[in-house]
Amino acid sequence: MAQTTIILSIIALVLIVINTKTNGKQYMGLKIGLKQFIKTMPVILGAFILAGIIEVMIPKEFVQNWLSKEAGLKGIFLGTFGGMLLAMGPYAFYPIVASLMVSGAGLGTIISMITGWALLGLSKAPFEIGFFGVDFTIKKTICSLPFSLVAGLIAYFLELIVFS
Amino acid sequence: MKESIIIIYIAAVILLVLGYFIGGWNMILDGLNISIKTAYRSFLMLLASFIIIGQLNVLLTAEVIEKWLQKFKGIKAIIVSAIAGGLFPGGPYIYYPFVSSFKEKKLPFYILISFLFGKQVFDFSRIPLEASLVSPDIALIRYLITFPIPIIVGLIALRFFQDTTAFDFSLKAGEKHGPDNDNP
Repeated sequence: MAQTTIILSIIALVLIVINTKTNGKQYMGLKIGLKQFIKTMPVILGAFILAGIIEVMIPKEFVQNWLSKEAGLKGIFLGTFGGMLLAMGPYAFYPIVASLMVSGAGLGTIISMITGWALLGLSKAPFEIGFFGVDFTIKKTICSLPFSLVAGLIAYFLELIVFS
Repeated sequence: MKESIIIIYIAAVILLVLGYFIGGWNMILDGLNISIKTAYRSFLMLLASFIIIGQLNVLLTAEVIEKWLQKFKGIKAIIVSAIAGGLFPGGPYIYYPFVSSFKEKKLPFYILISFLFGKQVFDFSRIPLEASLVSPDIALIRYLITFPIPIIVGLIALRFFQDTTAFDFSLKAGEKHGPDNDNP
């Protein structure tokens, strides 16, 4: 955890230096970042509450049968469709993923869930339909589905071969 | 944002009530304890993440990315547009109008599609959040596994729609040519 904070802080400092030297907009960047941080804080706190409750409420048998490494393909399918249905921003989505991971969900489920959310997330559908039409949105969703499942499958085998 | 807040808190209240009926106050307190610990542990990481997001916002503007996209063709264009998509800042209300502008610029369809998939799969400004809120290892594995997706999709689009521009595509999708609409 501390290591991640240090790495992120170093990246933030490097970007501040780059902006100072290239465009002088480092203060504007800080302002934008902090404004967004304050604006999204209620969502993040709500997501933490939700994630904490999910972590203690989710039955161990459900995780074992449907989401764990042992669940195999079931977990990958459930992860993909779960990611698709969780129509929310990253601030709310990631804590929920983390709570499932802590509860014992397999790597395949987690990866397919994140990929499904990124590619198929229903929260983007209104924009996609608005700018590109229903036809494009349906075709893109159908084309994206196998990618999410394959990503989950690769992660599943990776966990099976490398991490066990 | 308001909608997200409402959805999250309604879901949290429903789960808290369910938790009370299933496990009583103990379960609720255990859950809230985990939430407080996670919030405390993640605070500094989130702060650093948002500083990164803010700095990327001013470093990589739509104009900078547009210049990159117009420079290349073929496979190079696919790789550049996928990465440019990943670097493009903002949510769907910002990047969809930007991608939609490819139609007016008559950029090839495969550039549009690799940019769109690049944005959704890579979104580099999400790395700090994914690393801090889920885990750095998961973020790394996820990026390595999904890295080829926008490039594969771009190559498929290049193979089957090589001569189609984003503009032609929108016409095929049923959109009428602007000037024709003025004709009686």
